[in-house]
Amino acid sequence: MQKIIRWPGLVGFVAIVGLIAAVLILFLDTWIKLAATNGLEQATGAEVNIASVSHTFSPFGVTFNQVQLTDPKKPTHNQAQANIITAQIELAPLFLNKIIVDQLTIDGVAFSQLRESEGKVYRKPGLESKLEQALDPKNLPSVDEIIARTPLKTTKAIQDAQSAYERHSESLKAQYETLPNKAKLEEYKTRIKALTETDYKNPVELAAAKKEFEQLRESLKKDKLAIETFKQSASEARDDLSPKLAALRSAPGQDYDQIQGLIAGDQAAIKDVTRMVLGDKAAVWSDYLLSAYKIAAPLMTGDKKSEAAREEGQWIAFSDDVSLPDIWIKNADISLRWQQEDIASSWQDITHQHEKIGKPTTFKIDSSASALWQSLKVDGNFSILDSGIEAIQSWDLKGVKLNELALINEQKLSTSITSALLASSGQLGIKQGQMDGTGAIDFSQLVMQASGTNNFTKIVAETLNNLNALKINTQLAGSIEDPKLSFSSDLDKRLAQSVVANLTGDQQSKLKSLKQKLDSQVQSVLGEKNAQLSQWINWQDLAEGDLGSVEDMLSAQFNDVLDDKKDKLKDKLKDKLKDKLFGN
Amino acid sequence: MIVLAKLLKALHSDAGPWSLAFGIMLGMIFGLTPLIKFHNLIILFVVLVFRVNLSTFLLSWGVFSVIALMLDPLMMNIGEAILTSQSLQGSFTAFYNTGLGRISQFYNTLTMGSLAVSLVLAPVVLLLSKVLVIKYRIHIMEWVDQWNIVQLIKGSKVYQIYQGMGE
Repeated sequence: MQKIIRWPGLVGFVAIVGLIAAVLILFLDTWIKLAATNGLEQATGAEVNIASVSHTFSPFGVTFNQVQLTDPKKPTHNQAQANIITAQIELAPLFLNKIIVDQLTIDGVAFSQLRESEGKVYRKPGLESKLEQALDPKNLPSVDEIIARTPLKTTKAIQDAQSAYERHSESLKAQYETLPNKAKLEEYKTRIKALTETDYKNPVELAAAKKEFEQLRESLKKDKLAIETFKQSASEARDDLSPKLAALRSAPGQDYDQIQGLIAGDQAAIKDVTRMVLGDKAAVWSDYLLSAYKIAAPLMTGDKKSEAAREEGQWIAFSDDVSLPDIWIKNADISLRWQQEDIASSWQDITHQHEKIGKPTTFKIDSSASALWQSLKVDGNFSILDSGIEAIQSWDLKGVKLNELALINEQKLSTSITSALLASSGQLGIKQGQMDGTGAIDFSQLVMQASGTNNFTKIVAETLNNLNALKINTQLAGSIEDPKLSFSSDLDKRLAQSVVANLTGDQQSKLKSLKQKLDSQVQSVLGEKNAQLSQWINWQDLAEGDLGSVEDMLSAQFNDVLDDKKDKLKDKLKDKLKDKLFGN
Repeated sequence: MIVLAKLLKALHSDAGPWSLAFGIMLGMIFGLTPLIKFHNLIILFVVLVFRVNLSTFLLSWGVFSVIALMLDPLMMNIGEAILTSQSLQGSFTAFYNTGLGRISQFYNTLTMGSLAVSLVLAPVVLLLSKVLVIKYRIHIMEWVDQWNIVQLIKGSKVYQIYQGMGE
C-alpha cells in the first residue's frame, strides 16, 4: 500500500481542490460582476456600471446592486438604471449553458437619468439630431430655390389643358366638316316636299318616286349618324377640357399658398414642428413605448464569443430540457421609478426563443391613482419568432400632471411645459418585425414657456406661449431597430400661419412677382382655350339643331302619302275601266 | 530547460517504468480533453495520490495539449457521432438525468470525443511508453549520458536545484 499511495500527494490534492474552491467562492461575485458588465457592454455598446454583486447557493440566486447602462446616444445619461436586480436561477440547466430564471425582481428602474460622470461609448450610434439645422434660418431655402424645386400646379394645369385641347381639336374639326350644311338640308326639304306633293299620273311615276324617296332616306340616315357621332365627340371634348380649365383657373392661387408656406419655414420644418417642439422628449417617449422590446430582446441575443484557444464543442441535450430556450425568465416583477412614483409591472415568460416555450412574453402595468396620474394601464405581449417579432400592445394613460418639464434647450430655441395635464391612449401592433401603431397625446390646461433667438424661432416661441391645449396624433411605423415616429397636430398649421404673417419685405415682393407671373401665364392660356371651348359648344349647338331637322325629315310619312296616292290612282283607273266597259 | 531536466531526471531515476508510463498516459488524457472537466479532477487525484511519475505526466500534458489543438475538429465529430448514436440514446438519457452526468458534461461533443479518443489510445500509449522507457534505459541511457549537452544540463543549476527538490 505504502508503495502505491503517495500520502503527501493526497494532501496536495486536497490542498489544490480546496484552493480552487476557495478562490471560486471568494471571487465568484467579482467574476459574475465582470461577466455581466462585459455582456451588457457588448449588448448596449456603452459603459455599464454595477456597484456590487452577491449570491446565494440555496436557492441559487444572484443580486446586482445599482446597475447603470450608459445611453450611447447621450453618454451623460443612463439609458436605463436599476437599484436592485435579483434573480433566482435554476442550477441544473446552467450545466447546459441555459439560464432559466424562476423569479426576477428589478426595483427602481429609471430611464434617461443623469450620470455622475459621462459614460464611455464603445459603439457610436449613427443617428444625429437635425434639430439645430431645422432651427437655423440659414438652412431655410431662398424663394428662388423653393420656386425652382417646387413642382408648380399652374405649369401642369397649362400642359393638361393644352394636351386635352390638342387631343380633341383635329378630330372634332374633321368630323364637323363632314356634317351636312344648311344648303344640303334645304335641298333635302325641297326634295321631300316635291315628292309628297306631286300628283302621280301613272304607276310608273309612282314607283320612281318611291325609289327616289328611299335613296333620300338613306342619305338622311347617314347624315344623322354623322351628326350624332359629332355630338358625342363634342360632348366628350367639352367634359375633358372644362375641368382642366377650371383647374387652370385655381392653380395660381394654390401655387401661391404652397410657396408662401414653404418660404415661411421650409416644408420639412413646418411638417415636423410638433416633433421639434417636443424635442428629445419625443425620442424618450418612443423609447418608453418600445422599452418592453428594447430591453428584453437585445440583452438576450448577445453574441456568445469564446476567447478560449480551444474550441468548445456543441452541447447535446437528452431529456425534456431539449425544449428549453437559452434564456427564460418565467416571472419578473419590474418596478419603474418615475418622478418619485413607482410603477410596478409584471412580466411572464421573457425569452427570445418563443417557439421553444410555445407562448408569448406577456407584460402588464395597472397603476391606480397616484400623485402624478389618475390611471395608467399598459398591457401587451410579444413573441420573437423566426419570421420576426410579433407583438400587440395597448396603453391608456389619464390625467398625468406635468410640471416644469423641459423639452428643448437649444441655443436658438428653448421650450418647456410649465404645467399641463396629459392623457394618452393608443395601440401598437408588430408583425414580422414591422410596426404599425397609432396613438393620441392630449395636453390640456397647457402653459408653455418658450423663447427664441432668431426671427423664425421667435415666432415659434410666441405661438407656443399662446397655446392652452394641444392634441398630437402619433403614427408609429418602421422596424423595432429603426422606429419611425411621426407626429401631427394643428400646431403645424398655426405655426405656418404665424410665420407667413411675419414674412420679410424681400420675401413678400418675390412672392408678389411670382403671383403676377403665374396669373399672366394662366390668363393668356385661359383666354385662348376658352374661345376654343366656346367654338366647340357652338358647333355642338348647331349640330343639335341640324339633327332635329334631319329627324323631322326622316319622320315624314311618305309611305302613307304614297299609299294614298296609290289608292287614288287605283280608283281613277277603275273609273276609266268602268266607262270603257259599260259605256256611260 | 526545466522540462528537459525533468524528463532526464525521470528517465535516469529509479522510478519504475510503469510509473513513468502511467504518467505519460494520464498526461495524454489530461492534455487531449478540455481542462476544466470533472474527469480531469479524478485524473489529478490519481496522479497525486498514486505513485504516478509527475515529470512524465507534466511533460505529456504539455505535448498533448498542443496536439489537441489540431485534433479538436476531428474529436468533435467523433463526439457528435457517439452522442447521436441511436443505440446509446437510452444510456445517455439515463446518465444525463443524474447529478454525476450533468457534472461530467459528457454531453459536450468535444468532451465526449476527446475522452473517447484518449481512452482508446490509453492502453496503447501505456504499453508503448513502458516499452520505450525500458528500451531507453537499456540501449540509450548510457550513450545519452555521454552527450556534452546532457552533461551541460546535468551540471546546470536548474538541474541541481530540481534534483535537490526531488530528494
